[in-house]
Amino acid sequence: MISFSQVTKRYPGGHEALSGINLTIDAGELVFLIGHSGAGKSTLLKLIAAIERPTSGVVSVSGQNVSRLSHRAVPYLRRNIGLVFQDHKLLFDRNVIENVVLPLDIAGLDRREALKRARAVIDKVGLLKREKANPISLSGGEQQRLCIARALVSRPALLLADEPTGNLDAGYAADIMAMFRDFHQVGTTLVIATHDDRAITALGGRTLRLDHGKVQEVAA
Amino acid sequence: MIGWLRHQKHALTAALHRLRAQPVATLLTALAMGVAISLPSGLYLGLGHLGRLAGEVPAQPEISVFLDAGVSAAQKQIIAARLKQPDIAEARYVPKDEAMAMLSASQDLADITAGLTQNPLPDAWVVRPQASSREELARVADDLGKLPGVAETHLDSRWADRLQAALAFGRTGVWLLAGLFAIALIAISGNAIRVQVLVRRDEIHVSRLIGATDRYIRRPFLYVGSLQGLLGGLAAGGVLAVAGGILRAPVERLAGLYGSAFHLLPPTGIEIAAVLGLTTLFGWLGAWLSVTRALQQVEATR
Repeated sequence: MISFSQVTKRYPGGHEALSGINLTIDAGELVFLIGHSGAGKSTLLKLIAAIERPTSGVVSVSGQNVSRLSHRAVPYLRRNIGLVFQDHKLLFDRNVIENVVLPLDIAGLDRREALKRARAVIDKVGLLKREKANPISLSGGEQQRLCIARALVSRPALLLADEPTGNLDAGYAADIMAMFRDFHQVGTTLVIATHDDRAITALGGRTLRLDHGKVQEVAA
Repeated sequence: MIGWLRHQKHALTAALHRLRAQPVATLLTALAMGVAISLPSGLYLGLGHLGRLAGEVPAQPEISVFLDAGVSAAQKQIIAARLKQPDIAEARYVPKDEAMAMLSASQDLADITAGLTQNPLPDAWVVRPQASSREELARVADDLGKLPGVAETHLDSRWADRLQAALAFGRTGVWLLAGLFAIALIAISGNAIRVQVLVRRDEIHVSRLIGATDRYIRRPFLYVGSLQGLLGGLAAGGVLAVAGGILRAPVERLAGLYGSAFHLLPPTGIEIAAVLGLTTLFGWLGAWLSVTRALQQVEATR
């Protein structure tokens, strides 16, 4: 589903986040990216979603060469990818359900159908009672669950999560990871960047370690 | 198609929501636009009125042909024959007695004519030439002036010419002004939208991350710009209506002093529609320029 071939990413200023990475992730896999902060985990996720472009090499997602994708084609790639951010990136000028319905509005779905689907996903992450609340009134864990609901509402085949439990205490983190396990079991491909070892041992799956721009498999 | 309509509807409701959320800013922008537009539109209306006033004066200029005091019957016949030529549309003979009678009939001059012992007026023809161009008129007048027995010709179109020239100058000025204010309109709309884009930076950023196209992001801003332009046009209409209401009485009084029943007319439906259409268009254009530029900047600083 995802393949990196000789991928190097150098930022302006000379910092090389990834150097000559080769890697393949199959559909339906659950992959953890680990490594100290600044090792290139976020960069790797951003290259998959075409938020960043590689300096050299080829990134392909579902057979599409993402590194050469035209500006106009990028939005359509992203509609098939759910993104979960460490800082949630919620919109505080609208309530919970409006945040979740946004990707469906963007895709041009019928409003009533969109609200129905949004409500179902909100129910799944346990926020149905808060659907009219402003996200700013939610706790950190609830905000993260809302971010996950927004990433999943358009039923993407691929979910990318950057430090989804980074700011959460252990209880919330376990909740979120359990949620990810459920999605993995229904066939969603997940790539999760984390430094939370507890999560990895709880869920199993494949683990990749990034170190100074190089990637290596970690034996389970 | 249905998806496209749904997007339009969604963008329009979002735009209305945004305008309603900031009533003061919306109102101020509409007012700035309204004042800017009311100046050229008001001048246009004013010139229209002047043109209407000028239209009451006979547009066809006339040539007065005054005959010599001692003109012979033969010469008169030659002149009459000349005036049957095809370049003359109409010719009316005014004998000096008739001219004197007309002069005496007019109140202000009756005193003067009463004091005259003999008729000082010449016999005359009032000629309306076929052509109306300035050169052609001058040629006909010149031609008639050379006939034997003709003392003088007088082309009385000069002031009408001047008025027409002044109106043409005024119309050019209005278009020039309208062009300038159209630019001002684009700038006002563009600036209002630029502020909106800055406020909605996060929303734009997040929408892009979850698969929004530039068109999707741009659309509500374009609706805001268009609606803002439309409101500006309506505000201009309000400004002009108030100005018209204030000016009506003095204008009618002034016209009354000149013995005219002239009064101010409201603009026609087509004119109103044109102004509203243009302000909407320029509001849209300003928004488009502003949001496109802003999107490129967001792209660059991502």
